[in-house]
Amino acid sequence: LSWSAAAPLAVLATSLVTALAIFLLAEERHGLRTALNLGGAALKLLLVIAMLWGVYHGTDYELRYPLLAGVDFVLRSDLLSMLFVTLSALLWLFTTLYAVGYLEGSPHRSRFFGFFSLCVASTVGIALAGNLITFVFFYEMLTLSTYPLVVHRGTPKALYAGKVYLAYTLGGGTLVLAGTAWLYGLLPSVDFSHGGVASALAAEHHAALIAIFVLLIAGLGVKAGLVPLHTWLPIAMVAPAPVSALLHAVAVVKAGAFGIVRVLYDVYGIEFSAALGLLGPLAGIAAFTILYGSVRALAQDELKRRLAFSTVSQVSYIVLGACVLGPLGTIGGVVHLVHQGIMKITLFFCAGNLAETLGLHHVSRLDGVGRRMPWTMAAFTAAALGMIGVPPLAGFVTKWYLGIGAAAAGMYWVVAVLMASSVLNAAYFLPIVYAAWFKPPREPWKENKAAARAPGRLETDWRLLVPALATAAFSIGAGALAAAEFSPLGWAKLFAIQAYLQ
Amino acid sequence: MTPEMLVLPWALLGMRFGLDAVTQVFLGLTLVLWALAGVYAMGYLSADPRRRSFMLFFALTFSGNLGLVLARDVASFYLFFALMTFAAYGLVIHTREPAALRAGRVYIALAVLGEALLLAGLMLAASSAPTLEIADVRAGAAASPQRGAVVALLLAGFGVKAGALGVHMWLPLAHPVAPTPASAVLSGAMIKAGLLGWLHFLPLGESALPGWGIALAAAGLAAAFYAALAGVMQDDAKTVLAYSSISQMGIITVALGAGLAVPGAAAPAIAAAAFYALHHGLAKGALFLGVGIAPAVRQPARFAALLLPALALAGMPQSSGALAKYALKSSLSELAWAAPLLPFAAVGTTLLMARFLFLVQAGGAKHATRSRRALVAWLACVAASVALAWLPLRALELPAAVEPSWSDAWPILLGAALSVAVASAGGGLGRLRVPPGDVLVPLMAAATGSHRGAHALGARLGTVARRGFARLQARWREGVKRLRSACDAGEARLRAAGSAAALLVIAVVFLFLQ
Repeated sequence: LSWSAAAPLAVLATSLVTALAIFLLAEERHGLRTALNLGGAALKLLLVIAMLWGVYHGTDYELRYPLLAGVDFVLRSDLLSMLFVTLSALLWLFTTLYAVGYLEGSPHRSRFFGFFSLCVASTVGIALAGNLITFVFFYEMLTLSTYPLVVHRGTPKALYAGKVYLAYTLGGGTLVLAGTAWLYGLLPSVDFSHGGVASALAAEHHAALIAIFVLLIAGLGVKAGLVPLHTWLPIAMVAPAPVSALLHAVAVVKAGAFGIVRVLYDVYGIEFSAALGLLGPLAGIAAFTILYGSVRALAQDELKRRLAFSTVSQVSYIVLGACVLGPLGTIGGVVHLVHQGIMKITLFFCAGNLAETLGLHHVSRLDGVGRRMPWTMAAFTAAALGMIGVPPLAGFVTKWYLGIGAAAAGMYWVVAVLMASSVLNAAYFLPIVYAAWFKPPREPWKENKAAARAPGRLETDWRLLVPALATAAFSIGAGALAAAEFSPLGWAKLFAIQAYLQ
Repeated sequence: MTPEMLVLPWALLGMRFGLDAVTQVFLGLTLVLWALAGVYAMGYLSADPRRRSFMLFFALTFSGNLGLVLARDVASFYLFFALMTFAAYGLVIHTREPAALRAGRVYIALAVLGEALLLAGLMLAASSAPTLEIADVRAGAAASPQRGAVVALLLAGFGVKAGALGVHMWLPLAHPVAPTPASAVLSGAMIKAGLLGWLHFLPLGESALPGWGIALAAAGLAAAFYAALAGVMQDDAKTVLAYSSISQMGIITVALGAGLAVPGAAAPAIAAAAFYALHHGLAKGALFLGVGIAPAVRQPARFAALLLPALALAGMPQSSGALAKYALKSSLSELAWAAPLLPFAAVGTTLLMARFLFLVQAGGAKHATRSRRALVAWLACVAASVALAWLPLRALELPAAVEPSWSDAWPILLGAALSVAVASAGGGLGRLRVPPGDVLVPLMAAATGSHRGAHALGARLGTVARRGFARLQARWREGVKRLRSACDAGEARLRAAGSAAALLVIAVVFLFLQ
């Protein structure tokens, strides 16, 4: 097994092995479990960085293992997969640290961290999958490994959320599987490749291809939260904050969006998708989702629910960008895979900090909290401004490329949608920022357990604070240094060049 | 000009900073006004409990204003423009009084709307431009297949900052409630950022847009007269000054209209607009700063120091105002119908200034300072405004200085006479009042309704979605129940037929599998 074949497996193993080890560990071995968790996360990040270096210099990492005749299990690195793998490796490290602090003193941590690692293993698998069947395998594994995390608290509300979550995602998974099986029936193999593989089929299969596309997108759209398949998302936010953070930023939601990008670019090929007339309707659904999510977010008082509807809206930027024909729109959509992740995870970390430290769950209770928790609210403010699209934050770069890409493609209505969404984002984020910083507090703060663990003059447990600050710093850095070579934008540009040169 | 630039290719979308003839003028205005206002603020706010918060937002807003003047690429320009916009909110609501909070709400709502519109305009223009450099984006605005939309979006988007008619409502609310040094920079320097945005990105000198040019000039004139009319019916000195700013920006807009209509007229129009901006910024800054100075022993001297910039604004011969108005008029050669109307705008300005001086002398501001620092800063600003008349600005290539003429003097005399007449006549005319923010009052009523509507819509959508979901769920449960009972019934029948039938079924299945 050469390094180029072993590397993808090693990246997968860092979380898979961690998961198994944690399941076998006794509940009270907290120290060892934390060491395993963080060690696995750090090791994975190092491996991913090594792979990034290799991919940048033209190395092809591929592991191929025949499952059945004509059906291979393939793990492979390309630009798109590395973007997603890096994002999940980076955010997993911080979310692990956050989860350790968040779950301090609560029961069933062995179960939690075991499935937590499995969830990340599935995400890495989804990212590195080199063909559609491998993708489906990990896509289903993700569904099953996140369910125990959603219902972790075991409350009736959590169990209900778990039921809804499972019903939606298993249903979606079935559709994806059906589409995949149909496609494998038409084609000898469905390896992901630039420019797609579906265009090789004769014109008589085009109707079937359109039907398969609908199946695949409907199935992936469940996880990506496309309206009307998004309903599970605001319900599932009863999960613990690190789970919501992971669900909304990298794992589940992003897996759906990533899958849609894969189908559009590497299965069908973007130009062939356009020729089949698939992009217009999908762009319409994405645009509707963007606006619908924002309007719904306006009316939510529960902070995490507001953030959940914001996710519904923001993830569709990725889909919308992917549907804008031309490299600029592609850049905007693909780079938002990363940008939405780092900004939204910051917001969920902050929401968790507010809940764990001061017991604040509602927007209407946040008056003056900026003075009590300045670091948390500074991180929140940065991420919220980024979501609105204020420079120099990451969200601005996304909006800019989506906007000029849409204008270049003649899709002027997309620019209008972007602007309406910006105004709506401002309308549901700025009141929070305003209340936190400018309003006087209403009553003395009721300090929770995390506040008691705060060392020295820190506002809360450092393990809750550091991840939020780090991801906020990424959100600023990804925008302020966007033109640098190794920024997410730089990587997305490489992908776009590849997608359109084929 | 030297095309030297500071280039940071890794920052944002590739940042570039530099200066040209026009931005040099804006840089001078920005530096002088912000520095003097800063010194003034140290004295003015020395006893304010929220001094540190003020200084933070003051510094951030200043950074934004300075950065946008120096920016040479569209992304950096927008970055600093947004920084200035959002940081200035902290200045507007500094006192936290209800009026300030209301002004802040109006300000931020219009600002966010403006940012969205101008970002859309910039994106459309940039998509037709080879690079993000400002000159290229301006050419892109001209070349864009959606040129009309670009122009409209930019006019409205930057118009929010520049106090253009229709989106001007925040000025008369925000400028008076902000602490005086903040009002000075808001009205003197910050609204010029909107003008600079127009000068940078409108396709001036690139394409002939006679329709847009005439519309813009007409809108400018309308603003000049409308704001003068609304302004003289105010009771607060700073509100009068805010309306005067709207009126003055309207006058500058007329020159832009000429430049937009005929590409050849663009260069003199840009130069005139830049010089007018400098003149207005210094004079308006001096007037605002003067409002906050407590009436000291030497009342006549204070009045004189307020009168000088007021007369300059009205365009008194030998003042910077006369130079600015002459340059402006000269740039209107292609828009001949507008030029004769300008003196009447000067009459309006004179009325506004008379109203302002009357209000200052009669009551003064709510909060006035006796600080020496503030006094020095104010006098320095007055001196700068007066000295501008003799400052050679060769880079702008303005028309040569003018002899004092009757055409400059009569609007002032007419305005003064009108003011005296109205004041002494008493009666109903002098007591007419317009609420600050004028059209905002009916608009707010509508807006409150639509805001409630949006919330209701959000809630309604949720209910509809929930209900639909519940209905689906019920139907699903019903279906499952029916299926289950059907299966039960079937199985019961099978059982009734006895195990022989079951065996038969198994045998059939087995046969199929073979």
